[in-house]
Amino acid sequence: MSKNYEEEIRNMVSDILEIPAEKLTPDADFFRDLNIDSLKAIEIVAAFEKKYRIIIPEQDIPKIRNLRQVVEYTAPLKKETHI
Amino acid sequence: MKERRIVVTGLGVIAPNGIGKDAFWHALKEGQSGIKRVKRFDTSQFKSKLAGEIDNFSPAVFLGHKGLRDLERTSRLLCSAAKLAIEDAGLSINHDNTDDIGVCTGTTLSSLWNFAQFDKETIQEGPLFTNVALFPGTVMNAASSQVSIRFNIQGFNTTISNGYSSSIDALKYAIDFIKLRRIKAVLVGGVESLSLVNYSGFYRLGFFAGINGEEVSCPFDKRRNGIILGEGAAVVIIEDEEYARSRNARIYAEVNGIGNCFEAYKMGKYHPGANGLKESIKEALRTSGIGPSDIDYISASANSVREQDRLETMAIKGVFGKYAYNIPVSSIKSMIGETFSAGGLFQISASIGSMYKGFIPPTINYEMTDEDCDLDYVANKSRLTRINNVLINNYGPGGSNAAFILSKGH
Repeated sequence: MSKNYEEEIRNMVSDILEIPAEKLTPDADFFRDLNIDSLKAIEIVAAFEKKYRIIIPEQDIPKIRNLRQVVEYTAPLKKETHI
Repeated sequence: MKERRIVVTGLGVIAPNGIGKDAFWHALKEGQSGIKRVKRFDTSQFKSKLAGEIDNFSPAVFLGHKGLRDLERTSRLLCSAAKLAIEDAGLSINHDNTDDIGVCTGTTLSSLWNFAQFDKETIQEGPLFTNVALFPGTVMNAASSQVSIRFNIQGFNTTISNGYSSSIDALKYAIDFIKLRRIKAVLVGGVESLSLVNYSGFYRLGFFAGINGEEVSCPFDKRRNGIILGEGAAVVIIEDEEYARSRNARIYAEVNGIGNCFEAYKMGKYHPGANGLKESIKEALRTSGIGPSDIDYISASANSVREQDRLETMAIKGVFGKYAYNIPVSSIKSMIGETFSAGGLFQISASIGSMYKGFIPPTINYEMTDEDCDLDYVANKSRLTRINNVLINNYGPGGSNAAFILSKGH
Protein backbone atom coordinates (compact mmCIF):
# COMPACT_ATOMS: atom_id res chain seq x y z
CA MET A 1 0.00 0.00 0.00
CA SER A 2 1.58 3.25 -1.07
CA LYS A 3 2.17 6.12 1.26
CA ASN A 4 0.56 8.38 -1.30
CA TYR A 5 -2.67 6.43 -1.25
CA GLU A 6 -2.79 6.57 2.54
CA GLU A 7 -2.24 10.31 2.43
CA GLU A 8 -4.96 10.71 -0.16
CA ILE A 9 -7.41 8.78 1.98
CA ARG A 10 -6.44 10.71 5.08
CA ASN A 11 -7.04 14.01 3.33
CA MET A 12 -10.38 12.90 1.96
CA VAL A 13 -11.63 11.68 5.33
CA SER A 14 -10.28 14.66 7.25
CA ASP A 15 -12.01 16.96 4.82
CA ILE A 16 -15.36 15.25 5.39
CA LEU A 17 -14.93 15.10 9.15
CA GLU A 18 -13.60 18.67 9.31
CA ILE A 19 -10.62 17.70 11.46
CA PRO A 20 -6.98 18.42 10.67
CA ALA A 21 -5.31 15.55 8.76
CA GLU A 22 -2.61 15.25 11.41
CA LYS A 23 -5.23 14.53 14.06
CA LEU A 24 -6.59 11.64 12.04
CA THR A 25 -4.36 8.89 13.38
CA PRO A 26 -4.59 5.45 11.74
CA ASP A 27 -6.27 3.84 14.75
CA ALA A 28 -8.62 6.61 15.93
CA ASP A 29 -12.10 5.05 16.01
CA PHE A 30 -14.51 7.12 13.91
CA PHE A 31 -17.43 6.67 16.25
CA ARG A 32 -15.81 6.34 19.67
CA ASP A 33 -12.86 8.71 19.33
CA LEU A 34 -13.93 11.12 16.61
CA ASN A 35 -17.61 11.21 17.49
CA ILE A 36 -18.92 11.07 13.92
CA ASP A 37 -22.56 10.38 13.17
CA SER A 38 -24.06 7.88 10.77
CA LEU A 39 -24.61 10.51 8.06
CA LYS A 40 -20.90 11.33 8.07
CA ALA A 41 -20.10 7.61 7.86
CA ILE A 42 -22.32 7.29 4.82
CA GLU A 43 -20.69 10.35 3.33
CA ILE A 44 -17.22 8.81 3.71
CA VAL A 45 -18.39 5.59 2.06
CA ALA A 46 -20.15 7.48 -0.72
CA ALA A 47 -17.09 9.64 -1.37
CA PHE A 48 -14.99 6.49 -1.89
CA GLU A 49 -17.56 4.88 -4.07
CA LYS A 50 -17.76 7.98 -6.21
CA LYS A 51 -14.04 8.63 -6.48
CA TYR A 52 -12.97 5.06 -7.25
CA ARG A 53 -16.19 3.89 -8.93
CA ILE A 54 -16.50 0.98 -6.50
CA ILE A 55 -19.48 -0.26 -4.52
CA ILE A 56 -18.85 -1.11 -0.89
CA PRO A 57 -21.35 -3.78 0.25
CA GLU A 58 -23.52 -2.56 3.09
CA GLN A 59 -22.57 -5.44 5.41
CA ASP A 60 -18.91 -4.38 5.21
CA ILE A 61 -19.48 -0.78 6.28
CA PRO A 62 -19.62 -1.43 10.06
CA LYS A 63 -16.26 -3.21 9.83
CA ILE A 64 -14.51 -0.04 8.73
CA ARG A 65 -14.06 2.02 11.85
CA ASN A 66 -10.73 3.76 11.49
CA LEU A 67 -8.39 5.14 8.88
CA ARG A 68 -6.19 2.04 8.82
CA GLN A 69 -9.22 -0.16 8.12
CA VAL A 70 -10.38 2.23 5.39
CA VAL A 71 -7.02 2.01 3.65
CA GLU A 72 -6.76 -1.78 4.07
CA TYR A 73 -10.28 -2.33 2.83
CA THR A 74 -10.22 0.01 -0.15
CA ALA A 75 -6.68 -0.54 -1.49
CA PRO A 76 -7.43 -3.94 -3.09
CA LEU A 77 -10.75 -2.70 -4.49
CA LYS A 78 -9.00 0.23 -6.01
CA LYS A 79 -6.45 -2.11 -7.65
CA GLU A 80 -9.23 -4.22 -9.10
CA THR A 81 -10.71 -1.22 -10.76
CA HIS A 82 -7.28 -0.35 -12.28
CA ILE A 83 -7.72 3.32 -11.52
CA MET B 1 -58.67 33.78 28.10
CA LYS B 2 -56.74 37.04 27.75
CA GLU B 3 -55.04 37.27 24.38
CA ARG B 4 -51.31 37.34 24.57
CA ARG B 5 -49.37 40.36 23.43
CA ILE B 6 -46.45 39.54 21.23
CA VAL B 7 -43.27 41.56 20.91
CA VAL B 8 -40.18 41.65 18.73
CA THR B 9 -36.97 41.39 20.73
CA GLY B 10 -34.22 40.48 18.30
CA LEU B 11 -33.18 40.98 14.74
CA GLY B 12 -30.53 39.54 12.42
CA VAL B 13 -30.05 40.64 8.83
CA ILE B 14 -27.80 39.52 6.00
CA ALA B 15 -28.89 41.85 3.20
CA PRO B 16 -27.42 42.83 -0.17
CA ASN B 17 -26.83 46.38 1.11
CA GLY B 18 -25.73 45.59 4.63
CA ILE B 19 -24.75 42.74 6.91
CA GLY B 20 -26.02 43.15 10.43
CA LYS B 21 -28.91 45.40 11.48
CA ASP B 22 -26.82 48.54 11.93
CA ALA B 23 -25.21 48.32 8.50
CA PHE B 24 -28.60 47.51 6.96
CA TRP B 25 -30.37 50.42 8.66
CA HIS B 26 -27.54 52.78 7.78
CA ALA B 27 -27.66 51.75 4.11
CA LEU B 28 -31.44 52.22 4.01
CA LYS B 29 -31.24 55.61 5.64
CA GLU B 30 -28.57 56.73 3.17
CA GLY B 31 -30.41 55.25 0.20
CA GLN B 32 -27.53 52.87 -0.57
CA SER B 33 -28.32 50.09 -2.99
CA GLY B 34 -26.95 46.55 -2.84
CA ILE B 35 -27.81 45.93 -6.47
CA LYS B 36 -24.82 45.36 -8.76
CA ARG B 37 -23.48 43.13 -11.51
CA VAL B 38 -23.78 39.44 -10.69
CA LYS B 39 -20.46 37.82 -9.79
CA ARG B 40 -21.54 34.33 -8.81
CA PHE B 41 -22.38 33.12 -12.29
CA ASP B 42 -22.02 34.15 -15.90
CA THR B 43 -24.80 36.43 -17.12
CA SER B 44 -23.41 36.96 -20.62
CA GLN B 45 -26.31 35.14 -22.23
CA PHE B 46 -28.92 37.28 -20.46
CA LYS B 47 -29.88 40.81 -21.34
CA SER B 48 -30.10 41.43 -17.59
CA LYS B 49 -26.87 41.54 -15.61
CA LEU B 50 -27.78 42.79 -12.15
CA ALA B 51 -28.90 41.33 -8.84
CA GLY B 52 -28.98 42.11 -5.14
CA GLU B 53 -26.18 39.64 -4.59
CA ILE B 54 -24.38 39.34 -1.26
CA ASP B 55 -20.77 39.06 -2.27
CA ASN B 56 -18.98 40.02 0.93
CA PHE B 57 -20.53 37.39 3.18
CA SER B 58 -18.24 35.19 5.24
CA PRO B 59 -20.32 32.68 7.22
CA ALA B 60 -17.35 31.61 9.36
CA VAL B 61 -17.45 35.06 10.98
CA PHE B 62 -20.85 34.19 12.44
CA LEU B 63 -20.79 30.42 12.64
CA GLY B 64 -17.13 29.40 12.95
CA HIS B 65 -15.52 26.95 10.53
CA LYS B 66 -16.74 23.71 12.09
CA GLY B 67 -19.82 22.34 10.42
CA LEU B 68 -19.81 24.86 7.55
CA ARG B 69 -19.05 22.08 5.12
CA ASP B 70 -22.51 20.64 5.79
CA LEU B 71 -24.33 23.91 5.19
CA GLU B 72 -25.29 24.93 1.69
CA ARG B 73 -25.55 28.63 0.93
CA THR B 74 -29.16 29.17 2.00
CA SER B 75 -28.55 27.49 5.35
CA ARG B 76 -25.41 29.56 5.84
CA LEU B 77 -27.35 32.75 5.22
CA LEU B 78 -30.24 31.81 7.51
CA CYS B 79 -28.07 30.38 10.31
CA SER B 80 -25.92 33.53 10.26
CA ALA B 81 -29.00 35.77 10.48
CA ALA B 82 -30.38 33.56 13.27
CA LYS B 83 -27.12 33.84 15.20
CA LEU B 84 -27.27 37.63 14.95
CA ALA B 85 -30.92 37.65 16.04
CA ILE B 86 -30.29 35.39 19.04
CA GLU B 87 -27.42 37.60 20.18
CA ASP B 88 -29.43 40.74 19.54
CA ALA B 89 -32.29 39.43 21.66
CA GLY B 90 -29.93 38.33 24.43
CA LEU B 91 -31.72 35.00 24.28
CA SER B 92 -29.93 32.19 26.03
CA ILE B 93 -31.17 28.85 24.69
CA ASN B 94 -30.72 26.15 27.26
CA HIS B 95 -32.17 22.95 28.68
CA ASP B 96 -34.89 24.86 30.55
CA ASN B 97 -36.34 26.84 27.66
CA THR B 98 -35.40 24.99 24.47
CA ASP B 99 -38.79 23.28 24.19
CA ASP B 100 -40.49 26.68 24.41
CA ILE B 101 -38.68 28.12 21.39
CA GLY B 102 -39.66 27.42 17.78
CA VAL B 103 -38.41 28.22 14.30
CA CYS B 104 -40.59 29.23 11.38
CA THR B 105 -39.11 30.15 8.03
CA GLY B 106 -40.43 31.51 4.77
CA THR B 107 -38.56 30.33 1.70
CA THR B 108 -39.53 29.04 -1.71
CA LEU B 109 -36.67 28.98 -4.21
CA SER B 110 -33.82 28.24 -1.86
CA SER B 111 -33.40 24.55 -2.53
CA LEU B 112 -33.63 24.83 -6.32
CA TRP B 113 -29.90 25.12 -6.88
CA ASN B 114 -29.06 22.23 -4.54
CA PHE B 115 -31.64 20.10 -6.22
CA ALA B 116 -30.25 20.99 -9.63
CA GLN B 117 -26.74 20.08 -8.52
CA PHE B 118 -27.81 16.73 -7.12
CA ASP B 119 -29.85 16.01 -10.20
CA LYS B 120 -26.98 16.90 -12.50
CA GLU B 121 -24.68 14.48 -10.68
CA THR B 122 -27.22 11.72 -10.81
CA ILE B 123 -27.43 12.10 -14.57
CA GLN B 124 -23.73 12.64 -15.19
CA GLU B 125 -22.23 10.18 -12.69
CA GLY B 126 -24.96 7.59 -12.54
CA PRO B 127 -27.43 6.95 -9.74
CA LEU B 128 -24.98 4.99 -7.56
CA PHE B 129 -22.28 7.64 -7.57
CA THR B 130 -24.05 10.81 -6.55
CA ASN B 131 -22.60 13.04 -3.85
CA VAL B 132 -24.71 12.09 -0.86
CA ALA B 133 -23.63 15.24 1.00
CA LEU B 134 -25.69 17.31 -1.44
CA PHE B 135 -28.92 15.46 -0.72
CA PRO B 136 -29.94 17.01 2.64
CA GLY B 137 -29.82 20.46 1.03
CA THR B 138 -32.30 19.52 -1.68
CA VAL B 139 -35.33 19.84 0.55
CA MET B 140 -37.24 23.04 1.13
CA ASN B 141 -36.96 22.87 4.92
CA ALA B 142 -33.17 22.38 4.97
CA ALA B 143 -32.25 25.89 6.06
CA SER B 144 -34.91 26.12 8.76
CA SER B 145 -33.92 22.73 10.16
CA GLN B 146 -30.26 23.69 10.24
CA VAL B 147 -31.15 26.64 12.47
CA SER B 148 -32.77 24.34 15.01
CA ILE B 149 -29.89 21.87 14.83
CA ARG B 150 -27.16 24.49 15.14
CA PHE B 151 -28.72 26.39 18.03
CA ASN B 152 -30.27 23.34 19.71
CA ILE B 153 -33.83 24.61 19.46
CA GLN B 154 -36.24 21.82 20.33
CA GLY B 155 -39.60 23.52 19.76
CA PHE B 156 -41.54 23.30 16.48
CA ASN B 157 -39.82 23.86 13.16
CA THR B 158 -41.88 24.77 10.11
CA THR B 159 -41.15 26.04 6.65
CA ILE B 160 -43.78 28.08 4.84
CA SER B 161 -43.31 28.08 1.13
CA ASN B 162 -45.94 30.02 -0.74
CA GLY B 163 -44.03 32.48 -2.82
CA TYR B 164 -43.92 36.22 -2.29
CA SER B 165 -45.77 36.34 1.02
CA SER B 166 -44.01 33.36 2.64
CA SER B 167 -42.23 35.19 5.39
CA ILE B 168 -45.25 37.19 6.54
CA ASP B 169 -47.27 33.98 6.42
CA ALA B 170 -44.51 32.34 8.48
CA LEU B 171 -44.88 35.20 10.94
CA LYS B 172 -48.62 34.62 11.13
CA TYR B 173 -48.08 30.94 11.79
CA ALA B 174 -45.64 31.79 14.58
CA ILE B 175 -48.00 34.39 16.08
CA ASP B 176 -50.80 31.83 16.18
CA PHE B 177 -48.53 29.34 17.95
CA ILE B 178 -47.74 31.89 20.65
CA LYS B 179 -51.38 32.96 20.98
CA LEU B 180 -52.41 29.33 21.40
CA ARG B 181 -49.85 29.12 24.21
CA ARG B 182 -47.97 26.34 22.54
CA ILE B 183 -44.66 28.19 22.44
CA LYS B 184 -43.12 31.26 24.09
CA ALA B 185 -40.66 32.52 21.49
CA VAL B 186 -40.13 31.94 17.78
CA LEU B 187 -37.29 32.71 15.41
CA VAL B 188 -39.17 33.85 12.33
CA GLY B 189 -37.00 33.88 9.24
CA GLY B 190 -37.09 34.61 5.57
CA VAL B 191 -34.38 33.47 3.19
CA GLU B 192 -33.65 33.13 -0.50
CA SER B 193 -30.35 32.61 -2.24
CA LEU B 194 -29.41 33.70 -5.70
CA SER B 195 -28.50 31.03 -8.21
CA LEU B 196 -28.25 30.58 -11.94
CA VAL B 197 -31.38 28.43 -11.80
CA ASN B 198 -33.72 30.98 -10.23
CA TYR B 199 -32.12 33.80 -12.22
CA SER B 200 -32.80 31.87 -15.39
CA GLY B 201 -36.36 30.99 -14.33
CA PHE B 202 -37.45 34.56 -13.62
CA TYR B 203 -35.64 35.78 -16.71
CA ARG B 204 -37.33 33.29 -18.99
CA LEU B 205 -40.70 34.21 -17.51
CA GLY B 206 -39.98 37.76 -18.66
CA PHE B 207 -40.05 39.14 -15.11
CA PHE B 208 -36.69 40.85 -15.18
CA ALA B 209 -35.92 44.51 -15.59
CA GLY B 210 -33.68 45.05 -18.59
CA ILE B 211 -35.51 42.73 -20.96
CA ASN B 212 -37.78 45.51 -22.17
CA GLY B 213 -36.33 48.72 -20.86
CA GLU B 214 -33.72 50.08 -18.53
CA GLU B 215 -32.28 47.59 -16.04
CA VAL B 216 -33.14 49.37 -12.82
CA SER B 217 -35.25 48.67 -9.75
CA CYS B 218 -37.42 51.79 -9.66
CA PRO B 219 -40.71 50.99 -7.91
CA PHE B 220 -43.62 53.33 -8.77
CA ASP B 221 -41.51 55.11 -11.43
CA LYS B 222 -42.92 55.25 -14.92
CA ARG B 223 -39.77 53.55 -16.30
CA ARG B 224 -40.33 50.40 -14.27
CA ASN B 225 -40.23 47.23 -16.34
CA GLY B 226 -39.48 44.31 -14.07
CA ILE B 227 -37.73 43.01 -11.00
CA ILE B 228 -34.10 42.75 -10.11
CA LEU B 229 -33.64 39.59 -8.11
CA GLY B 230 -32.16 39.81 -4.62
CA GLU B 231 -31.04 37.37 -1.96
CA GLY B 232 -30.40 37.24 1.73
CA ALA B 233 -31.78 36.26 5.09
CA ALA B 234 -33.54 38.05 7.90
CA VAL B 235 -34.63 36.63 11.23
CA VAL B 236 -36.69 38.31 13.92
CA ILE B 237 -37.37 36.89 17.34
CA ILE B 238 -40.91 37.29 18.51
CA GLU B 239 -41.96 36.43 22.03
CA ASP B 240 -44.88 36.33 24.32
CA GLU B 241 -44.62 39.72 26.06
CA GLU B 242 -44.69 38.20 29.55
CA TYR B 243 -41.84 35.91 28.64
CA ALA B 244 -39.83 38.78 27.16
CA ARG B 245 -40.41 40.91 30.27
CA SER B 246 -39.55 38.02 32.59
CA ARG B 247 -36.09 37.89 31.05
CA ASN B 248 -35.75 41.70 30.85
CA ALA B 249 -35.48 41.65 27.08
CA ARG B 250 -35.29 44.88 25.11
CA ILE B 251 -38.54 45.28 23.21
CA TYR B 252 -38.22 46.70 19.71
CA ALA B 253 -41.84 46.67 18.70
CA GLU B 254 -45.16 45.03 19.20
CA VAL B 255 -46.62 42.58 16.74
CA ASN B 256 -49.97 44.08 15.97
CA GLY B 257 -52.55 43.16 13.30
CA ILE B 258 -51.95 40.67 10.56
CA GLY B 259 -54.01 39.45 7.65
CA ASN B 260 -53.48 37.13 4.74
CA CYS B 261 -55.53 36.04 1.81
CA PHE B 262 -54.99 33.73 -1.11
CA GLU B 263 -56.59 35.03 -4.25
CA ALA B 264 -56.89 32.24 -6.75
CA TYR B 265 -56.54 33.59 -10.27
CA LYS B 266 -54.44 32.76 -13.33
CA MET B 267 -50.94 31.39 -12.87
CA GLY B 268 -48.37 34.18 -12.71
CA LYS B 269 -50.98 36.90 -13.31
CA TYR B 270 -52.10 39.68 -11.03
CA HIS B 271 -55.76 39.81 -10.17
CA PRO B 272 -56.89 43.09 -11.76
CA GLY B 273 -58.83 44.14 -8.67
CA ALA B 274 -56.03 43.45 -6.15
CA ASN B 275 -58.80 42.28 -3.85
CA GLY B 276 -56.52 39.86 -2.04
CA LEU B 277 -54.17 42.62 -0.95
CA LYS B 278 -57.06 44.91 0.00
CA GLU B 279 -58.61 42.18 2.13
CA SER B 280 -55.27 41.44 3.78
CA ILE B 281 -54.76 45.11 4.69
CA LYS B 282 -58.33 45.37 6.04
CA GLU B 283 -57.82 42.22 8.10
CA ALA B 284 -54.51 43.55 9.45
CA LEU B 285 -56.23 46.81 10.47
CA ARG B 286 -59.23 45.01 11.95
CA THR B 287 -57.03 42.76 14.10
CA SER B 288 -54.74 45.60 15.18
CA GLY B 289 -57.07 47.76 17.18
CA ILE B 290 -55.78 50.92 15.51
CA GLY B 291 -57.47 53.03 12.86
CA PRO B 292 -56.31 53.79 9.31
CA SER B 293 -55.15 57.25 10.32
CA ASP B 294 -52.78 55.75 12.89
CA ILE B 295 -50.61 54.26 10.14
CA ASP B 296 -47.51 56.46 9.88
CA TYR B 297 -45.80 54.66 7.04
CA ILE B 298 -46.46 51.87 4.53
CA SER B 299 -43.60 49.57 3.61
CA ALA B 300 -44.62 48.55 0.13
CA SER B 301 -44.25 45.30 -1.70
CA ALA B 302 -43.75 47.22 -4.95
CA ASN B 303 -40.94 45.63 -6.92
CA SER B 304 -40.74 47.70 -10.10
CA VAL B 305 -43.12 45.46 -12.02
CA ARG B 306 -45.60 47.58 -13.97
CA GLU B 307 -48.74 45.87 -12.68
CA GLN B 308 -47.55 45.17 -9.15
CA ASP B 309 -46.78 48.78 -8.25
CA ARG B 310 -49.92 50.13 -9.89
CA LEU B 311 -52.14 47.58 -8.16
CA GLU B 312 -50.54 48.13 -4.77
CA THR B 313 -51.16 51.87 -5.13
CA MET B 314 -54.75 51.07 -6.08
CA ALA B 315 -55.19 48.72 -3.12
CA ILE B 316 -53.82 51.31 -0.67
CA LYS B 317 -56.22 53.92 -2.05
CA GLY B 318 -59.04 51.37 -1.99
CA VAL B 319 -58.58 50.80 1.74
CA PHE B 320 -57.47 54.23 2.96
CA GLY B 321 -59.45 56.42 0.55
CA LYS B 322 -58.23 60.02 0.31
CA TYR B 323 -56.21 59.55 3.48
CA ALA B 324 -53.81 57.42 1.41
CA TYR B 325 -52.28 60.66 0.11
CA ASN B 326 -51.18 61.53 3.66
CA ILE B 327 -49.29 58.30 4.27
CA PRO B 328 -45.67 57.98 3.13
CA VAL B 329 -45.16 54.77 1.12
CA SER B 330 -41.75 53.43 0.13
CA SER B 331 -40.22 50.29 -1.28
CA ILE B 332 -36.88 49.02 -0.02
CA LYS B 333 -36.82 46.70 -3.05
CA SER B 334 -35.35 49.67 -4.89
CA MET B 335 -32.23 49.01 -2.80
CA ILE B 336 -32.15 45.24 -2.21
CA GLY B 337 -34.10 43.89 -5.17
CA GLU B 338 -36.92 41.36 -5.08
CA THR B 339 -35.92 38.84 -2.44
CA PHE B 340 -39.12 36.89 -2.99
CA SER B 341 -40.00 34.82 0.08
CA ALA B 342 -37.59 36.77 2.26
CA GLY B 343 -39.04 40.13 1.22
CA GLY B 344 -41.53 40.48 4.06
CA LEU B 345 -38.90 39.83 6.70
CA PHE B 346 -36.57 42.41 5.15
CA GLN B 347 -39.43 44.90 5.23
CA ILE B 348 -40.04 44.11 8.91
CA SER B 349 -36.33 44.43 9.68
CA ALA B 350 -36.22 47.77 7.88
CA SER B 351 -39.38 48.97 9.64
CA ILE B 352 -37.95 48.16 13.06
CA GLY B 353 -35.07 50.46 12.08
CA SER B 354 -37.60 53.08 11.03
CA MET B 355 -39.18 53.02 14.47
CA TYR B 356 -35.98 52.70 16.38
CA LYS B 357 -33.96 55.30 14.48
CA GLY B 358 -36.84 57.55 13.34
CA PHE B 359 -36.57 57.50 9.57
CA ILE B 360 -38.47 56.33 6.52
CA PRO B 361 -36.26 54.59 3.95
CA PRO B 362 -36.55 56.11 0.48
CA THR B 363 -37.70 54.62 -2.78
CA ILE B 364 -34.51 55.21 -4.71
CA ASN B 365 -34.15 55.50 -8.50
CA TYR B 366 -37.39 57.47 -8.59
CA GLU B 367 -37.25 59.91 -11.49
CA MET B 368 -40.36 59.79 -13.65
CA THR B 369 -43.84 60.12 -12.19
CA ASP B 370 -46.62 57.85 -13.34
CA GLU B 371 -50.26 58.96 -13.22
CA ASP B 372 -51.25 55.49 -11.96
CA CYS B 373 -48.88 55.76 -9.03
CA ASP B 374 -49.59 59.07 -7.35
CA LEU B 375 -48.91 58.59 -3.64
CA ASP B 376 -46.06 59.96 -1.55
CA TYR B 377 -43.25 57.49 -2.31
CA VAL B 378 -40.49 59.15 -0.24
CA ALA B 379 -38.49 59.61 -3.42
CA ASN B 380 -34.72 59.14 -3.32
CA LYS B 381 -34.05 60.58 0.14
CA SER B 382 -34.98 59.13 3.50
CA ARG B 383 -37.24 61.19 5.71
CA LEU B 384 -36.63 61.77 9.39
CA THR B 385 -39.81 61.35 11.36
CA ARG B 386 -41.31 59.55 14.31
CA ILE B 387 -42.94 56.24 13.39
CA ASN B 388 -45.37 54.49 15.71
CA ASN B 389 -47.22 52.14 13.37
CA VAL B 390 -46.05 50.63 10.09
CA LEU B 391 -48.14 48.70 7.62
CA ILE B 392 -46.12 46.13 5.71
CA ASN B 393 -47.57 44.81 2.47
CA ASN B 394 -46.48 41.61 0.86
CA TYR B 395 -47.84 40.20 -2.36
CA GLY B 396 -47.09 39.11 -5.88
CA PRO B 397 -48.58 37.51 -8.96
CA GLY B 398 -48.75 34.07 -7.32
CA GLY B 399 -52.04 34.83 -5.56
CA SER B 400 -50.68 35.00 -2.01
CA ASN B 401 -51.18 38.27 -0.15
CA ALA B 402 -50.29 39.35 3.36
CA ALA B 403 -50.29 42.53 5.39
CA PHE B 404 -48.85 43.14 8.81
CA ILE B 405 -48.88 46.02 11.27
CA LEU B 406 -45.90 46.58 13.48
CA SER B 407 -46.29 49.04 16.35
CA LYS B 408 -43.81 50.73 18.59
CA GLY B 409 -43.24 48.86 21.83
CA HIS B 410 -44.62 50.45 24.93
